[in-house]
Amino acid sequence: MAEIVGGVGVPHTPHFPGIVDRGEPLAAELRRLYGAAARHLRDLAPDFLIFFTCDHYNIFFVESVPIFSIGVAPSAPGPSDYRELQAYTVPIASGLARHIQAEAVRGGFDVGMSQEFEFDHPVTVPLHFLTPRMDVPIVPVFVNGLIPPLPSAARCHALGARIRETLTGMRGSARVAAVASGSFSLEIGGPRISATSHTGVPDPDWADRVLDLMRAGKVATLVAEASEEQLTHAGNAAGELLTWIAMLGLVGHAPPAFIEAQREFGHAFGCWPAGGPGGTG
Amino acid sequence: MSIYAVNKICYRVVHEPELRQALSDAPEQALRAATPPLSEEELRALLAGDVGRLSKLGANHFLLHQLGRFRLLGLDLPTYAERIRAAYRPG
Repeated sequence: MAEIVGGVGVPHTPHFPGIVDRGEPLAAELRRLYGAAARHLRDLAPDFLIFFTCDHYNIFFVESVPIFSIGVAPSAPGPSDYRELQAYTVPIASGLARHIQAEAVRGGFDVGMSQEFEFDHPVTVPLHFLTPRMDVPIVPVFVNGLIPPLPSAARCHALGARIRETLTGMRGSARVAAVASGSFSLEIGGPRISATSHTGVPDPDWADRVLDLMRAGKVATLVAEASEEQLTHAGNAAGELLTWIAMLGLVGHAPPAFIEAQREFGHAFGCWPAGGPGGTG
Repeated sequence: MSIYAVNKICYRVVHEPELRQALSDAPEQALRAATPPLSEEELRALLAGDVGRLSKLGANHFLLHQLGRFRLLGLDLPTYAERIRAAYRPG
C-alpha cells in the first residue's frame, strides 16, 4: 500500500517570490516560514504530492467551473497568470492522478478530469519554495474555493479522506504527502480591501480561530464551523481554506508539528505528520 | 445581457496581451468587439473605469481588479482600490 507520510499548508501570495529575491524586509520571515515547510516535506521524502489548490479563474471560467477536478496531464507549465514570475514545468503523476480520479468517482465523488491546462500561481508559488527543482510529481486536485457556490467543508474533507482510502488501498510502497495552498481570510479586489492595497483581511478573528482549531487537532470542529456563510464573511478568497480541510481529510487529525500565522495576511504555514484517519476532534 | 460579459473581458485581460493592447489603443472599439456583447451600461461603466458601478451591477471583484492590475481603462491598483471602497462607503 502507499503510505501517507504527512503534509503541509502554505500561502501562495504572488508577490512573495519577488520579495524574497529582492531581499525586502519581509524576506527573512518568508524564508524562515517557507523553509520550515520545505524542510518538513524533504524529511517526509515523498514520492508524490497530492496538491490541493483553487484555480483563480484561469483554467476554469469560460467553458466550465467544476466543483472538483483532478489534473491528469503528464505535466503542466505555469504560472499562466503572472508571467513575471519564474516559469516552471510541473511534473504530474498522471497514472496515479487517473487512478485517484476514477476511484473518487466510484466512491460517489463527481470529480472532473483536466487533461490539458496551465497551472496558475497558487500551484507554482508554493512549489517555487517547497520543491524548486520540480523533482516530486504532483497530483493536482482543484477545489472550487473562489466561485460560489462553494462545496461544503464536509465534502472537501470527505474527498481528502476518499483519496487517502484510495492510496492506502494501492499496491506498492510509494510515500505520499499532501500540500494545501491558500488563505483563511482574504479579500481580493472587493470592497473590504485595505486602504493601501488591493487585498484585505476582512475577518482576522476567523483566521485566528482556524489556527487554534488546527493547532489543537480539532478538525471536525473546523469542518463544522467553516460554513459557506463564514467563508464568505472572511473574504472572497477565504474559500481557499477548503484546500487545507481537504488536505487534513487526507493526512489525518494529528496536531501539526509546526504552525505559524502571518496574521496581517490572514494566512499561515503548517506542517503535519502522518496522523491516521480523522478523529472526532 | 448578464454581467458575465464584463467578467469575461476581465478574465481575458489576464491571458490575452493583444486584448490589453487593444484596450489601451482603442478601448471602445475593443469593448464593442467583445463576445458576448456588453450592454450599453456595462460598456459606458468600463470606458469610465467606473468599477464601483460595475461592482453594483454584479461584476466579480477578483476579476474586476485585473483591470487595475494591468492599468487599463484609466485604472491602476490605487485608483481601483479607491473607487471600489468609495462605492461601499457608508453615507
